[in-house]
Amino acid sequence: MPLLFIRSLEKRLNLQLKDFFLTMQEFFLFSLRTFMAIPKTIRYWRDVLDQATICGTDSIPIVLVSAISIGALLAIEVGNLLEDFGAKTMLGRSTALSVIRELGPLLMGLMLSARFGSRNGAELGAMQISEQIDALRAFGTDPIAKLVMPRLVAALIMFLPLTALSDFAGLQSAAYMAEHYHRIDPGIFWNAVYPRLAPKDFVVGFLKAPVFAVIITLVSSFNGFSARGGTAGVGRATIKGIVVSSGLVLIANFYVSKIVLENM
Amino acid sequence: MIELKNVSLKYGEKEILKNVSLTVQDNTIKAILGPSGVGKSTILKLMLGLIKPNSGKVIIDGTDITRMKETELYEIRRKMGMVFQGNALFDSLSISQNLGFFLRENLKLPQEEINRRVTEQIQFAGLEGYEDQLPESLSGGMRRRVAIGRALIFKPHMILFDEPTAGLDPVSSKKILSLISSLRNHNNLGAVIVTHIIDDVFNVADSVAVLYQGEMIFDDVTEKLHESQHTFIRSILSDKILEL
Repeated sequence: MPLLFIRSLEKRLNLQLKDFFLTMQEFFLFSLRTFMAIPKTIRYWRDVLDQATICGTDSIPIVLVSAISIGALLAIEVGNLLEDFGAKTMLGRSTALSVIRELGPLLMGLMLSARFGSRNGAELGAMQISEQIDALRAFGTDPIAKLVMPRLVAALIMFLPLTALSDFAGLQSAAYMAEHYHRIDPGIFWNAVYPRLAPKDFVVGFLKAPVFAVIITLVSSFNGFSARGGTAGVGRATIKGIVVSSGLVLIANFYVSKIVLENM
Repeated sequence: MIELKNVSLKYGEKEILKNVSLTVQDNTIKAILGPSGVGKSTILKLMLGLIKPNSGKVIIDGTDITRMKETELYEIRRKMGMVFQGNALFDSLSISQNLGFFLRENLKLPQEEINRRVTEQIQFAGLEGYEDQLPESLSGGMRRRVAIGRALIFKPHMILFDEPTAGLDPVSSKKILSLISSLRNHNNLGAVIVTHIIDDVFNVADSVAVLYQGEMIFDDVTEKLHESQHTFIRSILSDKILEL
């Protein structure tokens, strides 16, 4: 009996491993084909502009809301902590580092994973279920060049200014809270920010934007393309896209910081 | 001409097609009849190279497309038009945009030529006045006619229909079937029709292939279907619709 159980467990594990590696292989080929389609950007410039509006302009409100709230919260909490050590004047420095290196890009990545990634998953999943992607192929159009590549190019272009916006809004809200909550003079706050920021702080923050753009776009689009099983399948593909891309964004955030800070 | 030679296909452990061979001559209408889920639509996707068989060959106009790359297949696919079961119209585009979509995407035609061809298909489908409507605002029969118009816009040699009358009322079904007949009679267009409705076969098809449990159990002119002694064919001839 235990032997039978072990054998069935082994068989199930084998199948799951096989599925996992097949999916990884498909994802790799999907990503490769997307990157190879980038030279067709000029042909699909209208689609790139549409996607840039969706992932860029339309995402500004959610990026601003998350950056402003986290900047304000950070200023309050870190300010309280620094007060215990009599180092409240260092608030600008610590907030700027947290926002520019980590929280600005990370929050933007997570917000865009939810907003842009879910849209990609749902839209492409619905197109897959209703055979629109098959129709593209059937009539001689490459669906990856038409649907995925413009999303990737748009994300690569738009995530950088969104990161800058997120950093700016986060720092401004932190400065506002520093002045009105902790009664720190704005001159002292900003004086602790600018002279002490090194190029590597910006490199860490802004390098994350293209990394997140690639992760979010490819993972969500791949899951959309893999949707099966009606509307419930679209839901599953969308959720999977958001969960996996958010997890990968968090992991990539750690490694980009680690690699850049250790090597610069 | 489309040929399938000893084609077998598996999805995981499930064997969908077992050693299926089939020939569709130009300017003829071939029906593929069988119960739901037996792999009829899969045959159309094989013909377009949308999926690859595990073994066997798919030959289009003498060219073996079985192992062709996706980019090589685009030219071959433009010889054929496809009407999907759910129409697969782009729901965010208007009717005229749907009709002109692939002309804009794939052929470098002047805008006047695109407009001319779109207008031609609008008239052919009897959809004058609906050019700027979205597909969701049309009836099932009208959407099907748009899908047929879109399939015809490249002026293909062959058109593939996946359940062309499924989900349509009897009047719309009759219109679609007469449209298919007129394509063969007036435009010299061949067609492959996948269906589970036996009346559709007798109404339009020159020949019929019957797919049952992954195997082709009949492939001949439509009139000879009545002569078959196969128990499955006898049963479908008495029931008329295969809702299995």
